[in-house]
Amino acid sequence: MYIYDDFDQTVAKQRVAEFRDQVDRRLKGELTEEQFRPLRLMNGLYLQLHAYMLRVAVPYGTMSVAQVRKLADIARKYDRGYGHFTTRQNLQYNWIKLEQMPDLLADLASVQMHGNQTSGNCVRNVTADHFAGVIADEVEDPRIVSEVIRQWSTFHPEFSWLPRKFKIAVTGAAKDRAAVQWHDIGLQIVRNEAGEVGYIVFVGGGMGRIPVLATKVRAFLPKQELLSYLEAILRVYNRYGRRDNIHKARIKILVRDLGPEEFTRQVEAEWEQTRHTGINLPPEEETRIARYFTPPAYEAITEPVTAFEDAKKKNRGFAQWVSTNVHPHKAPGYAIVTISLKPIGGIPGDISADQMDAVADLAERYSAAEVRATHIQNLVLPNVKQADLLAVWQRLGEIGFADANAGLITDVIACPGLDYCSLANARSIPIAQRISERFADLDRQHDVGELQIKISGCINACGHHHAGHIGILGVDKAGQEFYQITLGGAGDETAATGQLLGPGFSSDQIVDAIEKVVGAYLDIRQPNEPFIATYRRVGPAPFKEKLYGTR
Amino acid sequence: MAKPDTGPKVLTGNLLRDGATVYYTGKDWSLYVTDAKVAATPEEAEELRKIGAAAYAANLVIDVNVVDVQSTPDHVPAHIREQIRATGPTVRRDLNKSMSPE
Amino acid sequence: MVPASRVLDRNGPIADGWQRLADDAPAPAGASVLVSFARLKNEHNALFATAGAVGVDIGGDVELEELEPLLPRLGLIVVRFATMRDGRPFSVGRLLRERYGFTRDLRAVGDFIPDQVLFLLRCGFNSFEVGPNFSAEALKHSVAAYTVWYQRGVERNATVAEMRLAKEKA
Repeated sequence: MYIYDDFDQTVAKQRVAEFRDQVDRRLKGELTEEQFRPLRLMNGLYLQLHAYMLRVAVPYGTMSVAQVRKLADIARKYDRGYGHFTTRQNLQYNWIKLEQMPDLLADLASVQMHGNQTSGNCVRNVTADHFAGVIADEVEDPRIVSEVIRQWSTFHPEFSWLPRKFKIAVTGAAKDRAAVQWHDIGLQIVRNEAGEVGYIVFVGGGMGRIPVLATKVRAFLPKQELLSYLEAILRVYNRYGRRDNIHKARIKILVRDLGPEEFTRQVEAEWEQTRHTGINLPPEEETRIARYFTPPAYEAITEPVTAFEDAKKKNRGFAQWVSTNVHPHKAPGYAIVTISLKPIGGIPGDISADQMDAVADLAERYSAAEVRATHIQNLVLPNVKQADLLAVWQRLGEIGFADANAGLITDVIACPGLDYCSLANARSIPIAQRISERFADLDRQHDVGELQIKISGCINACGHHHAGHIGILGVDKAGQEFYQITLGGAGDETAATGQLLGPGFSSDQIVDAIEKVVGAYLDIRQPNEPFIATYRRVGPAPFKEKLYGTR
Repeated sequence: MAKPDTGPKVLTGNLLRDGATVYYTGKDWSLYVTDAKVAATPEEAEELRKIGAAAYAANLVIDVNVVDVQSTPDHVPAHIREQIRATGPTVRRDLNKSMSPE
Repeated sequence: MVPASRVLDRNGPIADGWQRLADDAPAPAGASVLVSFARLKNEHNALFATAGAVGVDIGGDVELEELEPLLPRLGLIVVRFATMRDGRPFSVGRLLRERYGFTRDLRAVGDFIPDQVLFLLRCGFNSFEVGPNFSAEALKHSVAAYTVWYQRGVERNATVAEMRLAKEKA
């Protein structure tokens, strides 16, 4: 993975010093809260219901063992012994004190981490495929360009005060695990007919109150011209994006208001003026960054790996876990492991400091010392030998993270909701916990098959409910928590916006309602047809009928 | 026409320095909602708002609000959001505080 | 007494010879006058003939193509922040310097804070009209906050990528 050089480290240190000064001035009253708020947000610091919350950036979801251990230390030293992995591949602490923030940031910087641009109206921490570099069907490791984007977007002089937040995601494969069409800019690395590497550029995706899938503004952007093209998009947005209404300030609204053709024309016109002005990265620098993502030296292993195959035969629990949580690796004899942070009845994405340390130990011993965070709020060990999978699974069992549920109905995404978040209208986590408990039986889960439930506690959609096969949106109805169901959303290369099924349900009713939706699916599915395929085949009617009866 | 807003209310915010959720007691700030001074009339609520604005201007508390509480002796907050603020996340009871000092 | 507003550059307070004119106020002959964009559009011939120097006050929503023909005769452009979160002046500054070749005084005014000044400098601004609560000391801190940059600014700094290359060659 990428390692800071002296220049990166200087920037990181100067950021800590800058924020130390800003916190000091705030505590002395030299900065008002209105002035300080955007500054703290750009360091990832929010005020939530009970305390400050810090969102630590995990660029493109990749962490070293040393970083994971430091995150555990920080959870103990500055928080209450745990953290929360989010749908943005980041980690949040819930109990942070403003006066301790400078020291905390210095600790983070000691392992090349920070909270930069994890909030605020700026280019946010870039996200990427959590299987980057280890899957077979990849044009190029998306973390290389993600690191290029991380550096370019860090403290950009022109684009740090945008109309609204701005999220960029990258996939290096046609199979999209980064939900690129749901981002302000989505990049898909492709090869053109001449065999050159470049990008499909999507612009204007976003969730929130008005869910919009991105528009493809360019079918092929040559790789070396990326930064000038990004600047052209950002400049059009910075100048013409709406600033009078926070709900209409995302770039998706500008694209809609101008129309995709006119928006694209303006971007291309701007780009023509700047593409040759030295904004693009020197190719040597791209090569330098790419070197950090050279794959580890894989051993030559012949498949099948007997010990692994035997263990699956002897141990049904292990075999079930392999069937959901272990994914094909590009190197023979290796595997990619999803560590489920969704134990039955647990809080999706939550992880204690001790569990972080245990994951770090596993990665050090079995996975080339690297851990990934996913936007599904799980972790990934990207480089595990098949022969070691049984030991990994057993150790994960000891720390409570061996559930064989990746991609299944209990692999629920949930935002923190009203338990923590000052924006929320309803709780998300208890709904996730109760769904998980209702469907706890593993055979039943495996029978239901692939099904993504995503829960948001308010219309801002941090729980990605618009992209859930089943989406649940919490609302406030006369002071009571109510939950609306959407069906048919997707976040992959077949991205779609979930459609509202009908009137909402009380907290007491919602889990029964979800069970009915699942029941309707089981009634009408064809052999081996996953939930989303059934929904696409039959539409909402059978589900509506099951939930609301015939009128 | 909206009903006149006459129910009992308390003044709450979060301490600038550490973010803790606190309630105005009539002379200082407490972690516990049961310590809060209750405004029984719109005039008293307006007085709390002024005190809150001054405490905000003095960089003591942020996210300052006057919120409804129930008409009971322990004046539990009326809305679920404020109930959760008063104690802590419902999914981590082990980390909660009670509404009143031990 | 602290004046209502004053002008700073990256090093601190500077003298300001510009006189802000209301749209109906006559332009004193030979003076350096600062006028609204509307007035400049209507009266530029008269203003250029009478005044010693002419400056214009614009917002982030300006269409620079409209301003372009007048640029060679302007001595000052003041770009107004609607709020401290108004990011348009950063683009306007960079465009004026890099695309339209404006070389004279480029000044920010409005609710920006000292912590934004370094980025404004990097986008081509060289002076700052600020209110009484604006801390000149905080501005000095801000200007010195960062010494290396991943991006090239209007000041044509070497980027981190270029410094890496130079280091490798050395």
